[in-house]
Amino acid sequence: MTRELTFRNPSFSERIKGMLGVDFYRLFHTPMFYIFLVIAAIIPAMVSAMTMMPGPDGSAATPLYSNVWQIIAATEPLYVIRSIADYANMNMVFIFGGIMVSIFIGHDYKSGYVKQLFTTHAKKQDYMISKSLTCAFAMACMCITYFIGGTVGGLLVGYSLEVNVGSLMIAILGKIIMSLGWASLFTFLNIIFRRYFGISIASSFFFGTGILIIGVAAIVENLSIPTWFLNIFLYGSSVNACLVSNVGTLIICAVVSVAWAVFYNVLGTRILSKSDVY
Amino acid sequence: MNAVEIKNLSKNFGAKQAVCGLDMTVPMGAIYGFIGENGSGKSTTEKMICGLIPASGGSIKLYGKDYTDIDVRARVGVLIESPGCFPGLTVWDNMMLQAANLSIPNAEKEVIKVLKTVRMEGAAGNKYKNCSLGMKQRVGIAMALLGDPTLLVLDEPLNGLDADGMRIMREVFTDIIKDGKRSIIVSSHLLGELQKVATHYGIIRHGKMICEMTSDELDASCRTYIALQADEMSKTKTLLGCKYSRVEEDEAGYIRVYDLTTPEDVVTYLYENGVTVTEIMTDKIGLEEYFIDLMKGGK
Repeated sequence: MTRELTFRNPSFSERIKGMLGVDFYRLFHTPMFYIFLVIAAIIPAMVSAMTMMPGPDGSAATPLYSNVWQIIAATEPLYVIRSIADYANMNMVFIFGGIMVSIFIGHDYKSGYVKQLFTTHAKKQDYMISKSLTCAFAMACMCITYFIGGTVGGLLVGYSLEVNVGSLMIAILGKIIMSLGWASLFTFLNIIFRRYFGISIASSFFFGTGILIIGVAAIVENLSIPTWFLNIFLYGSSVNACLVSNVGTLIICAVVSVAWAVFYNVLGTRILSKSDVY
Repeated sequence: MNAVEIKNLSKNFGAKQAVCGLDMTVPMGAIYGFIGENGSGKSTTEKMICGLIPASGGSIKLYGKDYTDIDVRARVGVLIESPGCFPGLTVWDNMMLQAANLSIPNAEKEVIKVLKTVRMEGAAGNKYKNCSLGMKQRVGIAMALLGDPTLLVLDEPLNGLDADGMRIMREVFTDIIKDGKRSIIVSSHLLGELQKVATHYGIIRHGKMICEMTSDELDASCRTYIALQADEMSKTKTLLGCKYSRVEEDEAGYIRVYDLTTPEDVVTYLYENGVTVTEIMTDKIGLEEYFIDLMKGGK
């Protein structure tokens, strides 16, 4: 009565296509994604407005920026920040992005989706790649809404539009490219902490703010080590994509982002393979 | 070729050994009732078969291939604890997502087919979070059936079901294996229900398989007993206890005699001692009692 069994070996492209389809479907059907897009647009507009507010004693505002585009990227690579203006640019997207990734992956574990997924032919490596790409796309979208929000906000408060358009485009593109590396880092952190939303979000925030790298930057500066050395890290390269960027900056961003993405994906896959899925 | 062949499987969680030296064989076309007390290692074994937790030692072969092979994994359908569904999405959307993960061509047709199999075609538009427990269990089985799996691993699929839900689930199990190419491993504490569908059994205790048998072997192993009621129950029990080695009173108020004897002998013996038997019958112990006996160390 038993029929002969046939086994089908789904190819990598088949597997990843299916998984990406699911992840993108979920991304576009979750309100959280749109909320984060709006947050990414509102924050720079608010920062622009706040920098032009008069002091509490009615004194004239002291603008933190000299033109609109400094809300998007710093005028030069500021590895060690000294004021909020140095920090308040498109790099902030990587903080919100980290929180979004935590919620996105946390739901995978909480709903049991991961458990269901790993009982099929899905490989752990497919999961890492699919999540990293989906979250990188989400962060890239947030970069775009940040750009729109920042531009509109800056124009409304009357900042100058003067800029080297090529460098600005490269800075924006560089930060969008860096989304892949950041998304992979956050995916990696979240497969370690899994359903523990709180720890995941805290760790994403900790790494997203680049606290470690800022600390390292301060030490490097004090030791008179060249700061370009920091470009090998995600935070360093993200900072390096600024308003004096050139094609070389873009190449550095691409290499660093892809290298870290591969590193975190390999490490994440190893951890997933050796750990229990609940 | 067997659907599942496990040899000397072990799993440690730190110092605790959840499964130790477990051997298990699930033939093709079987409904394998996997039974054990809470914490005996059933779910851990099932999770290892499903690839959710790595084994500490031993081997698991599915259809003669290592259980981690992608091609063999594509033929395994699983419901462990609860289905991995997104509560805010409809049953249909959740099914379609799983179909996409499994790279199923003609996904819509396949989803309709499996929803029909589990009698859920009318509830496809319901949000998953609004489904009853029984419906959720059936969605889980439908999900496990996607991609035409040949091995289904179902962990406690009967939990929380009402009588009608149980009946539907029994029909579903029978439908699934009727073509003889699928096997089901099903664990449950509802042994009476399991006995109605299972063709094979595996009984696990403290992480070890203590017994594997077919339903026919179970039937042959289950002891026959005589159950009776008489006008003086306490005197009857004392009298029977003097003559027979194992006499017990069951929950329904019947006195059971497990020794090899005939109803005629029992009635005659009691009559000679001044007791009138009002009701007497012979029966066999079920899986539940067999299991309890086995756990107590007797058989």
